[in-house]
Amino acid sequence: MFQRILVPTDGSDLSKKAVRAAIRLAACTGAHLVAFHAIPKFRMFTLDAQMLEDTAGEYRVASVARARSLLAGVAAEARKAGVACDVAHATSDQPWAAIIREAKRKRCDLVLMASHGRKGLQGVLLGSETQKVLTHSTIPVLVYR
Amino acid sequence: MFEHILIPTDGSRLSEKAVRKGIRFAHAMGARVTAFHAIPKFQASDVMMDLLGTNRGDYARAAQAYSNERLRFVQKAAAALDVPCETRHATTDDPAGAIIEAAQASGCDLILMASHGRRGLGALLLGSETQKVLTHSSIPVLVYR
Repeated sequence: MFQRILVPTDGSDLSKKAVRAAIRLAACTGAHLVAFHAIPKFRMFTLDAQMLEDTAGEYRVASVARARSLLAGVAAEARKAGVACDVAHATSDQPWAAIIREAKRKRCDLVLMASHGRKGLQGVLLGSETQKVLTHSTIPVLVYR
Repeated sequence: MFEHILIPTDGSRLSEKAVRKGIRFAHAMGARVTAFHAIPKFQASDVMMDLLGTNRGDYARAAQAYSNERLRFVQKAAAALDVPCETRHATTDDPAGAIIEAAQASGCDLILMASHGRRGLGALLLGSETQKVLTHSSIPVLVYR
């Protein structure tokens, strides 16, 4: 059915739940998993502690390291379930666009993601990145809450 | 993984495409399906009724017949792949709410639906009922385009 499932993660609890679901679905259908993390661009004016304290160079190093460890965690979990898993990250101020681009590049046929990410207003609305992926994606999107 | 999938349909082309894909997904998952159709409530004013030469009873009969036809489409698609399929319908002014209620009442663990229904604006936006289901559903939603 689905051959390649893209699962974006920002490390939030809800996205971890989506990752677990993606691994189960991949194991169930024999699909290949692509785990993806979008790194927000560095900004001078921000509420992100990591960005406030660091220079642009330090931020880049720290955020890439964080992406790698996040994705390595997903890959290890997938391996345990016997699921083949690629990982990828990209720096973008539009995570939704990076998610769709990566899904196309890796020829995924499903995006499985959480209803909210890190900045979500739990329970009230659909998270903004999930909303935009749903609006712009041409492949099916499975939304987890 | 998923055991019981709710597939709402409004009979539009996109939703029938989602039905066919949804049945294949259910087949791959070994899941059973509940097909659902929301019948819009009778809206015409009394003046309109005279003009149209119809009444509530005629409308109800025609709407019920249409609903049965839509649900039979899903049943046929399911039968072709030996996927167990039940049907439900409800008369409502709130299709999204009725879809969520039907999913809960049937004990479904996934809602699978098209990105747009009958009144969708093509590729531009997410259909309003799909949007509402995504916002209010506590179970995962798989959106097809």
